[in-house]
Amino acid sequence: MRGLLFAFLGGAFITLQGVANSRISQDIGTWQAATVTQLTGFLMALLILLVVRDGNRQGLKQVKPLYLIGGSMAAVIIFSEVTAIHKVGVTFTISALLIAQLCLTFLIDTNGWFSVMKRKMKLPQFIGLGLMIAGVIILKF
Amino acid sequence: MIQGLLLALAAGSLVSLQNIFNTKVNERTGSWATTTLVLGMGFAASLTFGLIFEGGQLFNLLNMKPWYWISGAIGVGVVICLTLGIRQLGPTYAISIVLISQLGCALLWDSQGWLGLEKVPFTFQQLVGVLIIVGGILVFKLGGRRPKEIKS
Repeated sequence: MRGLLFAFLGGAFITLQGVANSRISQDIGTWQAATVTQLTGFLMALLILLVVRDGNRQGLKQVKPLYLIGGSMAAVIIFSEVTAIHKVGVTFTISALLIAQLCLTFLIDTNGWFSVMKRKMKLPQFIGLGLMIAGVIILKF
Repeated sequence: MIQGLLLALAAGSLVSLQNIFNTKVNERTGSWATTTLVLGMGFAASLTFGLIFEGGQLFNLLNMKPWYWISGAIGVGVVICLTLGIRQLGPTYAISIVLISQLGCALLWDSQGWLGLEKVPFTFQQLVGVLIIVGGILVFKLGGRRPKEIKS
């Protein structure tokens, strides 16, 4: 049961993050909002890191540099999401965002790009994506 | 509308890439070290883009409200909840619930217009659309995998 609650709250927080960024960007600007929220989040995570100390310097050196800078994509993600929410609303933005996210993950998984474990996708995955796209079309037309 | 759609699609694709890259980092170090690195990189990139597009205006935070300063905590909450949820339920079930909860909250937010966002009235059509998307997520995530895979 606790797992369910955490998963539910996690999803709620992800949406809240987009909404809060949109709200903040109305007052201070989109890049300002992205900079402030990432900075305060970073400081908070750093504080927790200093307590739990789960870092592993040797391990980090073995990670490809490309993967280490993955976090920088957040700047473009926040900018795009905030602008989309202002233009088409939260529901449509999150729906389209999830479809693109699942489609690309699906492509990467089936092709084994970025040396992820290759996974074969079957009919249910295609049906699932088809249903999601149909749902988004119904949402807007 | 097309512009909003394209931006949302771009954001979703980047989220997918970022998740994979972050997982690669997480395989070699702890989740807090990963989170700190990810948010630090996000801050550095936002600061850089902000300076390029806004110049000194970036530091003009006149309309700042106190709660804006702690909004970054939401990101930390996301990491804690996802880590604990996945640990207890396994990735497949946990992520299915996360995705559905994301959509449900989006619908709720639009219909209430909380935090002064423009209200998008709740319609039957919207409900049907979201329910079909939820069905799609469940079929995508839970369909065609052996039960053993789902559990682990």
